[in-house]
Amino acid sequence: MATVDPAAKRRLFERLSSIREIVFGVQDGVLTTAGVLCGLSGAVSQHSQVTLAALASTAAGALSMAAGAYLGARAETEVLRAELDLVRADAAEKPYTVQEGLLDELCKEGLSREAGYRVVRLLSTSPKALESTAEAKMFGFSGPTFGRPALDGVVMGIAFLVGALVPLLPYMLITVPRYDLGGALAATALTLFGVGYFEGWLAHRRDRWRSGVRFLAIAMSAAAAGYLIGLAISPLGATAG
Amino acid sequence: MLKPGDPAPPFDLECALDGRTARLSLAKIPSELVLLFFYPRDFSFICPTEVTGFNNALKEFAAEETSIVGVSIDNVDSHLRWARELGRIGYPMLADPDGSLARAYGVFDENEKVALRATFILDRKRKVAFAASCPLNIGRSVSETLRIVRALRTGRLCPADWTPGVECGPTDREF
Repeated sequence: MATVDPAAKRRLFERLSSIREIVFGVQDGVLTTAGVLCGLSGAVSQHSQVTLAALASTAAGALSMAAGAYLGARAETEVLRAELDLVRADAAEKPYTVQEGLLDELCKEGLSREAGYRVVRLLSTSPKALESTAEAKMFGFSGPTFGRPALDGVVMGIAFLVGALVPLLPYMLITVPRYDLGGALAATALTLFGVGYFEGWLAHRRDRWRSGVRFLAIAMSAAAAGYLIGLAISPLGATAG
Repeated sequence: MLKPGDPAPPFDLECALDGRTARLSLAKIPSELVLLFFYPRDFSFICPTEVTGFNNALKEFAAEETSIVGVSIDNVDSHLRWARELGRIGYPMLADPDGSLARAYGVFDENEKVALRATFILDRKRKVAFAASCPLNIGRSVSETLRIVRALRTGRLCPADWTPGVECGPTDREF
Protein backbone atom coordinates (compact mmCIF):
# COMPACT_ATOMS: atom_id res chain seq x y z
CA MET A 1 0.00 0.00 0.00
CA ALA A 2 1.39 3.39 -0.98
CA THR A 3 1.88 5.68 1.99
CA VAL A 4 3.05 9.24 2.41
CA ASP A 5 6.63 9.55 3.59
CA PRO A 6 6.25 12.13 6.38
CA ALA A 7 9.96 12.93 6.54
CA ALA A 8 10.13 13.60 2.78
CA LYS A 9 6.96 15.67 2.89
CA ARG A 10 8.32 17.63 5.83
CA ARG A 11 11.54 18.39 3.95
CA LEU A 12 9.48 19.45 0.92
CA PHE A 13 7.36 21.78 3.06
CA GLU A 14 10.48 23.27 4.63
CA ARG A 15 11.96 23.91 1.18
CA LEU A 16 8.68 25.36 -0.05
CA SER A 17 8.58 27.69 2.96
CA SER A 18 11.39 29.65 1.20
CA ILE A 19 9.09 30.30 -1.75
CA ARG A 20 7.92 33.52 -0.08
CA GLU A 21 11.47 34.91 -0.02
CA ILE A 22 12.17 33.70 -3.57
CA VAL A 23 9.01 35.15 -5.11
CA PHE A 24 9.23 38.34 -3.08
CA GLY A 25 12.94 38.79 -3.83
CA VAL A 26 12.73 38.07 -7.56
CA GLN A 27 9.62 40.18 -8.01
CA ASP A 28 11.06 43.06 -6.04
CA GLY A 29 14.42 42.83 -7.83
CA VAL A 30 12.80 42.79 -11.26
CA LEU A 31 10.29 45.53 -10.49
CA THR A 32 12.64 47.82 -8.61
CA THR A 33 15.34 47.62 -11.26
CA ALA A 34 12.90 47.95 -14.14
CA GLY A 35 11.38 50.91 -12.34
CA VAL A 36 14.81 52.47 -11.80
CA LEU A 37 15.72 51.94 -15.45
CA CYS A 38 12.43 53.42 -16.64
CA GLY A 39 12.62 56.35 -14.26
CA LEU A 40 16.25 57.17 -15.03
CA SER A 41 15.75 56.72 -18.77
CA GLY A 42 13.05 59.34 -18.56
CA ALA A 43 15.23 61.69 -16.54
CA VAL A 44 18.82 61.01 -17.69
CA SER A 45 19.94 60.82 -21.31
CA GLN A 46 23.31 59.00 -20.92
CA HIS A 47 23.09 55.19 -21.11
CA SER A 48 26.19 54.63 -18.95
CA GLN A 49 24.87 56.84 -16.14
CA VAL A 50 21.61 54.96 -16.10
CA THR A 51 23.48 51.62 -16.01
CA LEU A 52 25.73 52.75 -13.18
CA ALA A 53 22.84 54.03 -11.13
CA ALA A 54 20.87 50.82 -11.73
CA LEU A 55 23.88 48.70 -10.67
CA ALA A 56 24.25 50.73 -7.49
CA SER A 57 20.54 50.42 -6.86
CA THR A 58 20.74 46.66 -7.40
CA ALA A 59 23.61 46.19 -4.96
CA ALA A 60 21.99 48.35 -2.34
CA GLY A 61 18.62 46.69 -2.90
CA ALA A 62 20.00 43.17 -2.59
CA LEU A 63 21.85 43.96 0.63
CA SER A 64 18.91 45.86 2.04
CA MET A 65 16.45 43.10 1.21
CA ALA A 66 18.76 40.42 2.66
CA ALA A 67 19.26 42.41 5.85
CA GLY A 68 15.55 43.18 6.07
CA ALA A 69 14.57 39.54 5.62
CA TYR A 70 17.16 38.44 8.20
CA LEU A 71 16.15 41.03 10.78
CA GLY A 72 12.45 40.52 10.14
CA ALA A 73 12.65 36.74 10.49
CA ARG A 74 14.88 37.04 13.56
CA ALA A 75 12.52 39.49 15.26
CA GLU A 76 9.52 37.36 14.41
CA THR A 77 11.19 34.21 15.68
CA GLU A 78 12.34 35.83 18.92
CA VAL A 79 8.94 37.34 19.66
CA LEU A 80 7.08 34.12 18.83
CA ARG A 81 9.47 31.98 20.85
CA ALA A 82 9.14 34.30 23.85
CA GLU A 83 5.36 34.11 23.63
CA LEU A 84 5.48 30.36 23.20
CA ASP A 85 7.69 30.02 26.27
CA LEU A 86 5.11 31.95 28.29
CA VAL A 87 2.32 29.74 26.96
CA ARG A 88 4.33 26.60 27.78
CA ALA A 89 5.10 27.78 31.29
CA ASP A 90 1.43 28.53 31.84
CA ALA A 91 0.43 25.17 30.38
CA ALA A 92 2.89 23.32 32.61
CA GLU A 93 1.31 24.98 35.62
CA LYS A 94 -2.29 24.52 34.49
CA PRO A 95 -2.45 21.61 32.04
CA TYR A 96 -6.24 21.55 32.11
CA THR A 97 -6.36 24.93 30.40
CA VAL A 98 -4.49 23.39 27.48
CA GLN A 99 -6.80 20.40 27.48
CA GLU A 100 -9.88 22.61 27.55
CA GLY A 101 -8.50 24.90 24.85
CA LEU A 102 -7.66 22.00 22.57
CA LEU A 103 -11.05 20.44 23.21
CA ASP A 104 -12.77 23.69 22.20
CA GLU A 105 -10.73 23.85 18.99
CA LEU A 106 -11.56 20.25 18.09
CA CYS A 107 -15.25 20.93 18.72
CA LYS A 108 -15.05 24.00 16.45
CA GLU A 109 -13.67 21.73 13.75
CA GLY A 110 -16.70 19.47 13.94
CA LEU A 111 -15.92 16.82 16.55
CA SER A 112 -18.62 16.21 19.13
CA ARG A 113 -17.65 17.26 22.65
CA GLU A 114 -17.56 13.65 23.72
CA ALA A 115 -15.33 12.59 20.80
CA GLY A 116 -13.09 15.62 21.29
CA TYR A 117 -12.79 14.81 24.97
CA ARG A 118 -11.63 11.28 24.18
CA VAL A 119 -9.10 12.55 21.64
CA VAL A 120 -7.67 15.05 24.14
CA ARG A 121 -7.59 12.43 26.87
CA LEU A 122 -5.66 10.09 24.62
CA LEU A 123 -3.25 12.87 23.66
CA SER A 124 -2.83 13.70 27.35
CA THR A 125 -1.13 10.34 27.89
CA SER A 126 1.86 11.91 26.14
CA PRO A 127 2.63 15.44 27.36
CA LYS A 128 4.73 16.06 24.23
CA ALA A 129 1.91 15.02 21.90
CA LEU A 130 -0.58 17.15 23.83
CA GLU A 131 1.75 20.16 23.77
CA SER A 132 2.55 20.05 20.07
CA THR A 133 -1.06 19.36 19.03
CA ALA A 134 -2.40 22.08 21.28
CA GLU A 135 0.14 24.60 20.02
CA ALA A 136 -0.70 23.80 16.42
CA LYS A 137 -4.47 23.83 16.93
CA MET A 138 -4.79 26.65 19.42
CA PHE A 139 -2.06 29.05 18.34
CA GLY A 140 -1.12 27.94 14.83
CA PHE A 141 2.43 27.20 15.95
CA SER A 142 4.36 24.50 14.15
CA GLY A 143 7.94 23.87 13.09
CA PRO A 144 7.80 25.92 9.86
CA THR A 145 6.09 28.76 11.76
CA PHE A 146 9.52 29.89 12.88
CA GLY A 147 11.63 31.46 10.18
CA ARG A 148 15.28 30.66 9.62
CA PRO A 149 16.73 34.18 9.72
CA ALA A 150 20.12 33.50 8.08
CA LEU A 151 18.69 31.32 5.32
CA ASP A 152 15.79 33.73 4.75
CA GLY A 153 18.24 36.62 4.42
CA VAL A 154 20.53 34.82 1.98
CA VAL A 155 17.66 33.53 -0.15
CA MET A 156 16.04 36.96 -0.26
CA GLY A 157 19.30 38.70 -1.23
CA ILE A 158 20.12 36.22 -3.99
CA ALA A 159 16.55 36.24 -5.27
CA PHE A 160 16.62 40.04 -5.46
CA LEU A 161 19.95 39.94 -7.26
CA VAL A 162 18.72 37.39 -9.80
CA GLY A 163 15.56 39.39 -10.33
CA ALA A 164 17.49 42.62 -10.76
CA LEU A 165 19.78 41.13 -13.39
CA VAL A 166 16.80 40.28 -15.60
CA PRO A 167 16.14 43.84 -16.80
CA LEU A 168 19.69 45.01 -16.11
CA LEU A 169 21.56 42.58 -18.40
CA PRO A 170 19.56 43.36 -21.58
CA TYR A 171 19.84 47.06 -20.79
CA MET A 172 23.62 46.78 -20.42
CA LEU A 173 24.05 44.63 -23.53
CA ILE A 174 21.80 46.64 -25.83
CA THR A 175 23.26 50.10 -26.26
CA VAL A 176 20.83 51.35 -28.89
CA PRO A 177 18.58 54.04 -27.37
CA ARG A 178 15.01 52.94 -26.73
CA TYR A 179 15.85 49.35 -27.68
CA ASP A 180 17.83 49.09 -24.43
CA LEU A 181 14.81 49.94 -22.35
CA GLY A 182 12.56 47.88 -24.62
CA GLY A 183 14.78 44.85 -24.14
CA ALA A 184 14.85 45.36 -20.38
CA LEU A 185 11.08 45.66 -20.23
CA ALA A 186 10.56 42.64 -22.47
CA ALA A 187 12.83 40.54 -20.24
CA THR A 188 11.06 41.92 -17.21
CA ALA A 189 7.65 41.08 -18.60
CA LEU A 190 8.71 37.59 -19.59
CA THR A 191 10.33 36.88 -16.22
CA LEU A 192 7.43 38.17 -14.19
CA PHE A 193 5.03 36.16 -16.26
CA GLY A 194 7.35 33.17 -15.69
CA VAL A 195 7.49 33.74 -11.92
CA GLY A 196 3.71 33.96 -11.77
CA TYR A 197 3.37 30.85 -13.90
CA PHE A 198 5.91 29.01 -11.74
CA GLU A 199 4.08 29.98 -8.57
CA GLY A 200 0.84 28.71 -10.12
CA TRP A 201 2.61 25.47 -11.02
CA LEU A 202 3.87 25.04 -7.45
CA ALA A 203 0.36 25.69 -6.17
CA HIS A 204 -0.99 23.03 -8.57
CA ARG A 205 -3.29 25.55 -10.20
CA ARG A 206 -4.91 24.79 -13.52
CA ASP A 207 -4.98 28.42 -14.68
CA ARG A 208 -1.26 29.02 -14.28
CA TRP A 209 -1.31 31.58 -17.07
CA ARG A 210 -3.60 33.70 -14.92
CA SER A 211 -0.93 33.88 -12.19
CA GLY A 212 1.58 34.88 -14.84
CA VAL A 213 -0.69 37.60 -16.22
CA ARG A 214 -1.30 38.95 -12.71
CA PHE A 215 2.42 39.32 -12.11
CA LEU A 216 2.82 40.89 -15.51
CA ALA A 217 0.01 43.38 -14.90
CA ILE A 218 1.58 44.47 -11.61
CA ALA A 219 4.99 44.83 -13.26
CA MET A 220 3.69 46.90 -16.13
CA SER A 221 1.76 49.16 -13.76
CA ALA A 222 4.85 49.74 -11.62
CA ALA A 223 7.09 50.31 -14.63
CA ALA A 224 4.63 52.73 -16.21
CA ALA A 225 4.24 54.61 -12.96
CA GLY A 226 8.02 54.79 -12.53
CA TYR A 227 8.49 56.10 -16.06
CA LEU A 228 5.78 58.74 -15.60
CA ILE A 229 7.27 59.89 -12.29
CA GLY A 230 10.69 60.12 -13.98
CA LEU A 231 9.19 62.26 -16.71
CA ALA A 232 7.45 64.43 -14.15
CA ILE A 233 10.61 65.13 -12.11
CA SER A 234 13.00 65.54 -15.06
CA PRO A 235 12.42 69.37 -15.18
CA LEU A 236 13.64 69.50 -11.55
CA GLY A 237 16.92 67.86 -12.61
CA ALA A 238 17.35 70.39 -15.40
CA THR A 239 16.72 73.28 -12.97
CA ALA A 240 19.20 71.89 -10.42
CA GLY A 241 21.88 71.39 -13.07
CA MET B 1 -26.71 35.57 41.20
CA LEU B 2 -28.89 34.67 44.17
CA LYS B 3 -27.57 35.58 47.59
CA PRO B 4 -28.07 34.15 51.09
CA GLY B 5 -31.67 34.66 52.21
CA ASP B 6 -33.18 34.55 48.72
CA PRO B 7 -35.80 31.88 48.15
CA ALA B 8 -34.39 29.09 45.97
CA PRO B 9 -36.16 28.82 42.60
CA PRO B 10 -37.87 25.42 42.48
CA PHE B 11 -37.08 22.88 39.78
CA ASP B 12 -38.53 19.72 38.40
CA LEU B 13 -36.13 18.40 35.77
CA GLU B 14 -34.84 15.22 34.19
CA CYS B 15 -31.64 13.88 35.63
CA ALA B 16 -29.18 11.03 35.35
CA LEU B 17 -29.04 8.89 38.44
CA ASP B 18 -27.50 5.47 38.93
CA GLY B 19 -27.11 4.94 35.21
CA ARG B 20 -30.67 5.72 34.22
CA THR B 21 -32.93 8.67 33.49
CA ALA B 22 -35.03 9.94 36.40
CA ARG B 23 -36.87 13.08 37.39
CA LEU B 24 -36.01 15.27 40.32
CA SER B 25 -37.99 17.99 42.00
CA LEU B 26 -36.56 20.30 44.64
CA ALA B 27 -39.77 20.00 46.59
CA LYS B 28 -39.30 16.25 46.92
CA ILE B 29 -35.78 16.30 48.29
CA PRO B 30 -36.20 15.36 51.93
CA SER B 31 -32.78 16.20 53.34
CA GLU B 32 -32.16 19.13 55.67
CA LEU B 33 -29.76 20.86 53.27
CA VAL B 34 -29.37 20.70 49.52
CA LEU B 35 -26.03 21.30 47.87
CA LEU B 36 -26.80 22.47 44.34
CA PHE B 37 -23.70 22.87 42.24
CA PHE B 38 -23.65 24.17 38.69
CA TYR B 39 -20.78 23.22 36.39
CA PRO B 40 -20.11 24.29 32.80
CA ARG B 41 -20.03 21.13 30.71
CA ASP B 42 -19.88 17.37 30.66
CA PHE B 43 -16.80 15.99 28.95
CA SER B 44 -14.42 18.65 30.10
CA PHE B 45 -11.18 18.58 32.06
CA ILE B 46 -11.94 20.57 35.21
CA CYS B 47 -15.53 19.60 35.86
CA PRO B 48 -14.75 15.89 36.36
CA THR B 49 -12.49 16.69 39.30
CA GLU B 50 -15.44 18.42 40.96
CA VAL B 51 -18.05 15.87 39.90
CA THR B 52 -15.96 12.98 41.21
CA GLY B 53 -14.79 15.03 44.19
CA PHE B 54 -18.36 15.56 45.37
CA ASN B 55 -19.10 11.92 44.61
CA ASN B 56 -16.18 10.78 46.75
CA ALA B 57 -17.47 12.92 49.61
CA LEU B 58 -21.06 11.75 49.19
CA LYS B 59 -21.13 9.85 52.49
CA GLU B 60 -19.72 12.79 54.42
CA PHE B 61 -22.37 15.11 52.98
CA ALA B 62 -25.06 12.50 53.68
CA ALA B 63 -23.86 12.35 57.27
CA GLU B 64 -24.58 16.08 57.42
CA GLU B 65 -28.13 15.54 56.11
CA THR B 66 -27.16 17.14 52.84
CA SER B 67 -28.21 16.00 49.36
CA ILE B 68 -25.95 16.77 46.46
CA VAL B 69 -27.36 17.79 43.07
CA GLY B 70 -25.19 18.61 40.07
CA VAL B 71 -26.46 20.73 37.16
CA SER B 72 -25.16 21.59 33.72
CA ILE B 73 -26.64 22.56 30.38
CA ASP B 74 -26.00 19.08 28.97
CA ASN B 75 -28.89 16.73 28.29
CA VAL B 76 -29.60 13.55 30.22
CA ASP B 77 -27.99 11.29 27.58
CA SER B 78 -24.79 13.25 27.89
CA HIS B 79 -24.97 13.06 31.69
CA LEU B 80 -25.47 9.28 31.51
CA ARG B 81 -22.45 8.82 29.23
CA TRP B 82 -20.39 11.25 31.28
CA ALA B 83 -21.28 9.51 34.54
CA ARG B 84 -20.35 6.17 32.93
CA GLU B 85 -17.04 7.70 31.85
CA LEU B 86 -16.28 8.88 35.37
CA GLY B 87 -17.46 5.76 37.14
CA ARG B 88 -20.60 5.54 39.18
CA ILE B 89 -21.90 8.94 40.28
CA GLY B 90 -24.15 8.54 43.28
CA TYR B 91 -26.06 11.81 43.13
CA PRO B 92 -28.47 13.16 40.52
CA MET B 93 -27.05 15.17 37.62
CA LEU B 94 -29.78 17.54 36.46
CA ALA B 95 -30.21 18.34 32.77
CA ASP B 96 -30.72 22.04 32.16
CA PRO B 97 -30.26 22.18 28.37
CA ASP B 98 -31.92 25.55 27.89
CA GLY B 99 -30.12 27.04 30.89
CA SER B 100 -33.40 28.11 32.50
CA LEU B 101 -32.44 26.85 35.94
CA ALA B 102 -29.01 28.47 35.71
CA ARG B 103 -30.71 31.72 34.70
CA ALA B 104 -33.17 31.44 37.59
CA TYR B 105 -30.21 31.21 39.96
CA GLY B 106 -28.45 34.02 38.09
CA VAL B 107 -25.46 31.93 37.11
CA PHE B 108 -25.83 31.58 33.34
CA ASP B 109 -22.90 32.91 31.34
CA GLU B 110 -24.57 34.40 28.26
CA ASN B 111 -21.29 34.66 26.38
CA GLU B 112 -20.14 31.09 26.89
CA LYS B 113 -23.71 29.72 26.95
CA VAL B 114 -22.91 27.59 29.99
CA ALA B 115 -23.59 27.76 33.70
CA LEU B 116 -20.97 29.37 35.89
CA ARG B 117 -19.12 27.21 38.36
CA ALA B 118 -21.54 28.17 41.12
CA THR B 119 -22.43 26.50 44.41
CA PHE B 120 -25.61 27.01 46.42
CA ILE B 121 -26.47 25.46 49.73
CA LEU B 122 -30.20 25.56 50.37
CA ASP B 123 -31.55 25.37 53.90
CA ARG B 124 -34.51 23.47 55.27
CA LYS B 125 -36.91 26.21 54.11
CA ARG B 126 -35.24 26.03 50.70
CA LYS B 127 -33.81 29.46 50.97
CA VAL B 128 -30.27 30.14 49.87
CA ALA B 129 -27.99 29.72 52.88
CA PHE B 130 -24.75 29.97 50.98
CA ALA B 131 -23.82 31.08 47.46
CA ALA B 132 -20.46 31.28 45.72
CA SER B 133 -19.07 31.07 42.21
CA CYS B 134 -15.64 30.34 40.79
CA PRO B 135 -14.15 31.35 37.43
CA LEU B 136 -14.88 28.83 34.68
CA ASN B 137 -11.30 27.59 34.68
CA ILE B 138 -10.91 27.07 38.41
CA GLY B 139 -12.42 24.13 40.22
CA ARG B 140 -14.06 24.64 43.58
CA SER B 141 -13.03 23.00 46.82
CA VAL B 142 -15.11 20.05 47.96
CA SER B 143 -13.60 20.13 51.44
CA GLU B 144 -14.37 23.83 51.82
CA THR B 145 -17.96 23.20 50.73
CA LEU B 146 -18.21 20.41 53.31
CA ARG B 147 -16.77 22.73 55.96
CA ILE B 148 -19.46 25.30 55.18
CA VAL B 149 -22.20 22.66 55.33
CA ARG B 150 -20.95 21.62 58.75
CA ALA B 151 -20.72 25.23 59.88
CA LEU B 152 -24.28 25.92 58.69
CA ARG B 153 -25.53 22.88 60.56
CA THR B 154 -24.18 24.15 63.85
CA GLY B 155 -26.73 26.97 63.66
CA ARG B 156 -24.18 29.13 65.43
CA LEU B 157 -21.82 31.93 64.57
CA CYS B 158 -18.65 30.33 63.23
CA PRO B 159 -15.40 32.29 63.12
CA ALA B 160 -13.05 32.41 60.17
CA ASP B 161 -11.57 29.03 59.21
CA TRP B 162 -13.89 27.33 61.64
CA THR B 163 -13.68 23.57 61.67
CA PRO B 164 -15.66 21.03 63.71
CA GLY B 165 -14.48 21.02 67.30
CA VAL B 166 -13.64 24.70 67.35
CA GLU B 167 -15.78 26.82 69.64
CA CYS B 168 -18.85 28.49 68.08
CA GLY B 169 -20.83 31.64 68.89
CA PRO B 170 -24.43 31.89 70.20
CA THR B 171 -27.11 29.40 69.18
CA ASP B 172 -30.08 31.78 69.02
CA ARG B 173 -29.68 32.43 65.35
CA GLU B 174 -31.09 30.80 62.26
CA PHE B 175 -29.14 30.33 59.10
